Amino acid sequence: MKAIFDEAELATMKFGVGQPVPRTEDPTLLTGQGRYTDDLNRDGQAYGVFVRSSIAHGVLNGIDLDEARAMPGVLAIYTGADLAGYGPIRCGVPLKNFDGSEMRNPMRPAFPTDKVRFVGDPIAMVVAETPDQARDAAEVVVADIDPLPAVTDARLGAADGAPLLYNETPNNVVLDYHFGDKQAVDKAFASAAHVTKLGIVNNRVIVSAMEPRSAIAEYDPADQKWTIRVGSQGAFGLRNLLAKDILQVAPEKVRVLTGNVGGSFGMKAFVYPEYPALFHAARELGRPVKWTSDRSESFLADQAGRDHEVTAELALDAEGRFLGLRITGYGNMGAYIGQVSPMMSTLNIVKNVTSVYKVPAMEVTTKCVFTNSSPVSAYRGAGRPEGNYYMERLVETAAREMGIDRVELRRRNHIQPSEIPYDTVSGLTYDSGEFTAVLDKALAFADWDGFEARKADSQARGKLRGRGIGDYLEVTAPPQNEMGGIRFEDDGTVTIITGTLDYGQGHWAPFAQVLHSKLGVPFEKVRLLQGDSDELIAGGGTGGSKSIMASGAAIVEASDKVIEAGKKIAGHLLEAAVADIEFQRGRFSIVGTDRSIGVMEIAEKLRGGVDLPDDVPQTLDVKHVHEGGPSAFPNGCHVAEVEIDPDTGVVEVVRYHMVNDFGTVVNPLLVEGQAHGGIVQGIGQALMERCVYDEDGQVLTGSYMDYAVPRAADAPFFAFGTHSVPATTNPLGAKGCGEAGCAGSLPSVMNAVVDALAEYGVRHVDMPATPEKVWRIIQDARN
Amino acid sequence: MAKLHISTKINGEPTEFLCDPNDSMLDVLRGPLALTGSKEGCGSGDCGACSVMLDGRLVCSCLMLAAEAEGHEIETIEGMAEGEKLHPLQQKFLEMAALQCGICTPGVLVASKALLEKNQNPTETEVRYWLAGNLCRCTGYDKIVRAVLDTAAEMREATR
Ligand code: FES
Ligand code: FES
Repeated sequence: MKAIFDEAELATMKFGVGQPVPRTEDPTLLTGQGRYTDDLNRDGQAYGVFVRSSIAHGVLNGIDLDEARAMPGVLAIYTGADLAGYGPIRCGVPLKNFDGSEMRNPMRPAFPTDKVRFVGDPIAMVVAETPDQARDAAEVVVADIDPLPAVTDARLGAADGAPLLYNETPNNVVLDYHFGDKQAVDKAFASAAHVTKLGIVNNRVIVSAMEPRSAIAEYDPADQKWTIRVGSQGAFGLRNLLAKDILQVAPEKVRVLTGNVGGSFGMKAFVYPEYPALFHAARELGRPVKWTSDRSESFLADQAGRDHEVTAELALDAEGRFLGLRITGYGNMGAYIGQVSPMMSTLNIVKNVTSVYKVPAMEVTTKCVFTNSSPVSAYRGAGRPEGNYYMERLVETAAREMGIDRVELRRRNHIQPSEIPYDTVSGLTYDSGEFTAVLDKALAFADWDGFEARKADSQARGKLRGRGIGDYLEVTAPPQNEMGGIRFEDDGTVTIITGTLDYGQGHWAPFAQVLHSKLGVPFEKVRLLQGDSDELIAGGGTGGSKSIMASGAAIVEASDKVIEAGKKIAGHLLEAAVADIEFQRGRFSIVGTDRSIGVMEIAEKLRGGVDLPDDVPQTLDVKHVHEGGPSAFPNGCHVAEVEIDPDTGVVEVVRYHMVNDFGTVVNPLLVEGQAHGGIVQGIGQALMERCVYDEDGQVLTGSYMDYAVPRAADAPFFAFGTHSVPATTNPLGAKGCGEAGCAGSLPSVMNAVVDALAEYGVRHVDMPATPEKVWRIIQDARN
Repeated sequence: MAKLHISTKINGEPTEFLCDPNDSMLDVLRGPLALTGSKEGCGSGDCGACSVMLDGRLVCSCLMLAAEAEGHEIETIEGMAEGEKLHPLQQKFLEMAALQCGICTPGVLVASKALLEKNQNPTETEVRYWLAGNLCRCTGYDKIVRAVLDTAAEMREATR
């Protein structure tokens, strides 16, 4: 990889790549001036409220709207029949069944007209002059539904005789997925000295972004153009989905505008059925129509995360070397299949489960199953944390069963630096990584060897104590084209235009750091434009921890184009041959002279109007499309220690250390925050969070009083260490950090819980390790 | 329904507004008063995104009727900085990047300020329990808690 920055110069830059630069958007956000969707209002807007099924599964005979229509302020009520002209939401994942046949993929209409399939399924939208009027009217809409038996568990849903959600999907199996060489895996298991086998539940979580979903739709009949202001993870991709799948119009007829987004974690990335309904109402009524979800709706109808159940098996030889890995299980899709729903329990397990280890043979078999539950989609890591969790639970259990030290067993199976580039059994090539060094550094950092003294201290206070390792590696999202636009504005600022979009990550400062380091434009002059699809010519959006690789590369390449154009313009302005112009530290100079002109000066001259010959570029502005490079492999090792109160079953994470390899880190201040957030989402899933349905498919965890999102008192401080081995596959050498925290914390915390309970003979505890569950385990063991 | 006429003080400014009897304070702040810094994360008192001060007491504005503001003083996030000058908590949150999406941040700041007004020298545990009413899904709380502790230390130092 060639150096893209002048290292000596970089070291002198306060806002250069690698510096802990505060976030550019924060003065706005800290003073309450952020503009999230619900903070916006459009002239003449009406308000939409959705009528949702309160029955998990049933035949929809009809909907009585008469009383609601007569309520004050009601402008219109729309049902599935009104929305029949809009295209369905469809799954975009190119996966096939084991036998080569296509997925059984019934598409999701805006609103169902035949059956309701989960509690929260939208069946009508009331539009009124005020939100209260719309809510009042929605309450008197009467749906005539004949209830059917419901199933919310994927394993039960796939069983013979289970209630069927779709006639054309036998056993509710959307996708019967298989990856791997069955014979090789069978052979590995047959020859193994030891096999470790665990049943593991990957509990369903509610994403719970603190900003509920919200959207304002508009239609301009003159231009026949649809506009939606909505939280997303990328305006370009969402625009294309809406145009192609839903509205079935040319992409330029749809505009997606995304302002500040109050968290998403995968959940706001794709099309929801509310959007076509809002579009339809806006066109019919000739007014903007706004909707903001309340928290109950978000518990019911936001896409949920996780929800797999697997049998995980690891075959080892007598020395503990891994011979084969087998993951067999179910992935819950919920009631409808979303754009990426089957990905997490299939392909992303395949890619991530072998992690930092040499695994010669692997098989992953997953049944993706419809159930009467809210649709499942990506959530922080989208299969990456789960894959790592399965592996680390197997490794930990195997070590215990075989009497091999858990650290030694990991070291023995690590891919070594000398083996890199390493081709994994899933078909990936790791370009970089020093996994044993990372592990050793993390253990030293965490004072692994001092554990016994801390345990004794806990015991003296009547507490159990356990420690756990989460050695992880994640495969970032596959390559996608990404826009890198650079525009020199009339007010002297420079706008970066990206197709990635942050929903809390804070892209502005780090992207500006890259541009500043590469092009020498003043950091404070850099603006970021990311949420207007009309400005974008490409964009894979944000997701899969890829933004710094994709947009970073796009900005570097776009900068090269600016420099190329700038050299020609400078040559003309300085009256020198282009070949004699060199670019350094933001200035174009004639080699060997002191005559030069800065990039910002050129921009100013161009604004003022200079006559340039036809063969010289007339602008420095660039609209570049970066062709995505391969995935990167962020990795690291987390070490957690927990204390358990045997009398109450309360688990507390009391110590947490980590060493991460995120390759080149553009802004350590932000990267550390990404790790913290991911870790606590993992602690939430490990210890507290679980979406629970009763046998009728009613959600029992429908509010923050029933569903436990971690609060400040539920987390410890984190100790953050770094061991960077730059990636060789992108110009910055970055590896992506957004989802890694979760991948490290699920296994480290749960391994620590099991370790603490080992004295009771406990071999495995499923997430979430709630006080009740842990207390029962201890009581059962004592009796 | 007849509208109620309410006279109150918001961020030090005498303010009058009309509201329905069932409007929450949060509805009025975000709607007619266009003070959208206070957020609705739940509407049920569980998340703290709507935190404001009522006569120096921390309250959830989603649980307060707007009519209850009559004759009282409300402080919101919009009143926290003095002009361009950020409050020490805001400044520390900025320096440490103790926010991500920022939707919980106004509530977290208002609540943190309320804590430091009561307790200039809180322990980590006190900060964590005081802020346990403010849900944040992004930050994992680490930097928030550190920022509050650091700000408290600096404010103590400044008044010594
Ligand atoms: S909105 Fe008031 S506590 Fe959540
Ligand atoms: S910063 Fe996003 S919820 Fe707190």
